[in-house]
Amino acid sequence: MNLQVVYCSHRASGLALRERLAFSKTQIPQAYAALKHAFPRAECVLLSTCNRVEVYTAQEDAQQIPGHQDLARFFSEFHQLPVHEFFDDLLERSGPDVVRHLFQVAASLDSMVLGEPQIVAQVKEAYTLAQQHAASGPLTNALFQRALGVAKRVRTETGLAEGRVSIASVAVGEFGRRIFDRFDDKTVLVIGAGEMAVEAVRYLQDEGARQIWVCNRTLDRALDLAQEWGGQVRPFERLDEWLAQADVIVSTTGAEPCLVPRDRFRLARQKGAYKPVFVLDLGVPRDFDPSIRDLDDNVFLYCIDDLQAICERNRRARQREVDRALTIIDQEVDRLMGELHHQATGPIIRRLREQWRQVVDQETRRLFQRLPHLEKDRADIERSIEQMVNKLLHPPLEALRDEAREGTPHGLLDALRRLFRLSDG
Amino acid sequence: MMPHTSLICFLASYLLAFALEMVHFRRASRWGRWGGLACAAAGLLAQTWYLLNRGHQANLPPLLASTHDWMLVVAWLVMLVYLVLAVWNSRLNLGVFVYPLVLLLIGVAYKLDQVPNTALYVAQARRSWGLLHASLLVFGVVAAAAGCLSALMYLLQHRRLKTSHAERQGFQMPSLPRLAAANRWAFLLSFLLLTLGYASGLLLSFSAPSAGSTVELSEPIVILSGLVWLLLAGALGWLLARRGSAGRQVAWLTIVGLGGVLLTIFGLQLVTGHLHRGGRTAARVDVDTQVQP
Repeated sequence: MNLQVVYCSHRASGLALRERLAFSKTQIPQAYAALKHAFPRAECVLLSTCNRVEVYTAQEDAQQIPGHQDLARFFSEFHQLPVHEFFDDLLERSGPDVVRHLFQVAASLDSMVLGEPQIVAQVKEAYTLAQQHAASGPLTNALFQRALGVAKRVRTETGLAEGRVSIASVAVGEFGRRIFDRFDDKTVLVIGAGEMAVEAVRYLQDEGARQIWVCNRTLDRALDLAQEWGGQVRPFERLDEWLAQADVIVSTTGAEPCLVPRDRFRLARQKGAYKPVFVLDLGVPRDFDPSIRDLDDNVFLYCIDDLQAICERNRRARQREVDRALTIIDQEVDRLMGELHHQATGPIIRRLREQWRQVVDQETRRLFQRLPHLEKDRADIERSIEQMVNKLLHPPLEALRDEAREGTPHGLLDALRRLFRLSDG
Repeated sequence: MMPHTSLICFLASYLLAFALEMVHFRRASRWGRWGGLACAAAGLLAQTWYLLNRGHQANLPPLLASTHDWMLVVAWLVMLVYLVLAVWNSRLNLGVFVYPLVLLLIGVAYKLDQVPNTALYVAQARRSWGLLHASLLVFGVVAAAAGCLSALMYLLQHRRLKTSHAERQGFQMPSLPRLAAANRWAFLLSFLLLTLGYASGLLLSFSAPSAGSTVELSEPIVILSGLVWLLLAGALGWLLARRGSAGRQVAWLTIVGLGGVLLTIFGLQLVTGHLHRGGRTAARVDVDTQVQP
């Protein structure tokens, strides 16, 4: 049994190279066709995300299994890239290390954002695609199915996926959802067009926000964003009106001097009848005077420093869970490797039992032909012979099982084949 | 059955459940949470058995059996509501608030008069009125406790959101609108039930002197309850007049108003050892025949 992975990931390679080696969804069928053509006896699974490109291969026997250089050539031919441009970035693992690597990837221990949930879905999708293209087989099936199970176990038994670690998700998940029960009846005012606003609006829309007003000094950019989000553009000159009407305000201008000083916001509050307002000030420097949070009980203001501190705390909390996750992974690697090695001994054990069963059948048939008066005790005699066979087979099979815990027992399997003249077929 | 043994039995279950809840509060753990709920359910079962047994011995429903039993019924109801909510939404951590209240109620009950009110409810008609009066007050007190807890949670949640503190893992409270709604409804319900409870008590007192009423209008519980009721009515008027008022003000008002109700009822019972002086006097007449705790 041979397992191998050749890969490049965010840990060792830059984004530019990963982009060149990645397989888009439309390229996946061609990639599997090329792999099958080049390595017809190998099982293959391709995992291609923005952070990693990995090719898993597996085969029962070591002959003709694609090596590091074979797969580098495959990448080179498929993407029309000279091998020397990426060979040093292409890493390789084999045997139990492959299992450990995949389990760590699926459990999000190898992700750029520790504990992020998307990777499980990506691993699952990669495995499904391999199945659809008939590229996976018994070994990769066992490997990927177990990897998905391990990811689930790590998620439920450790706090690796607990707590939010991006600024927008902390803002909306930890605060917004506790200020408002629902967002579908709320008006979201976006001031400025920074990247963080894009992410925050995505989270707000996931929570059900429908009414989005975009207010930006540059009208073209405001129109683009409003179109992207299905929102409406509001003139920047009438910002005070929008401040009074909005329930959620996301601001990213970073303008100097401060865009909304205390007095300006106090007037807006008076017009807005002091209803609850959730203000996300993501601008650097701040767009809102920090003292506005004391204007009344219903102003909830969060600036980037507040949110970043929570993200950092959650990241540290996740980091503390890594050891527990690694212990689970080590247990699961041992378990899977034991099962795979045990599976490798299965055919020999089956053939040995079949061979002995044939001998028993022949000899008992001959015995009852010679001594027909024993027919009345046939059941007892057959049971005794069965027990004898089991007792005789027990020591060698037990030794085989013990050896299989450490790895495929090639020597012992070979000895059994020769001693009992067991054929491979 | 030994009543004290059973009281200690469910008290211990709740204490263990509270300890597990605190472990869950310190470090989120699924096993700790469900273990705590299992202990609480076991405690509730033991408490149910204890109350039924006491009622059976006094030949009265648990609500009328004695002041001690009445208080334990309050604790039982609070626990039941908590368990239903905890199973319905396992992510909410109400236990941190509910267990101290339940343990306090059981502690107060332990100190209270355990002599059955058999003599007070000799007449069947009086027993039915008494049951209605006690039930309305019990549900009113439970609603008041729910109001106080939701108000306390509102204030904590509001403070957390205002000061930008992240939620603790394993300690989630409902959103502000939910807590505010729970607060208002608990206040209204509590006021309604307590009003009906007081009214039925007054009717009971006026209508049944011939049936051997020993409850007098000059009793401290009657006078103080009347004063607290006036306070509650004033608070309700303020609430209705200012419908758009900030949730924080409502929360404080709830804590003061409903907390006042709870303090009056529990405090007086703790000081005097019983709910109605007359009930105790009547019971004392027949004390030799009663079940001793």
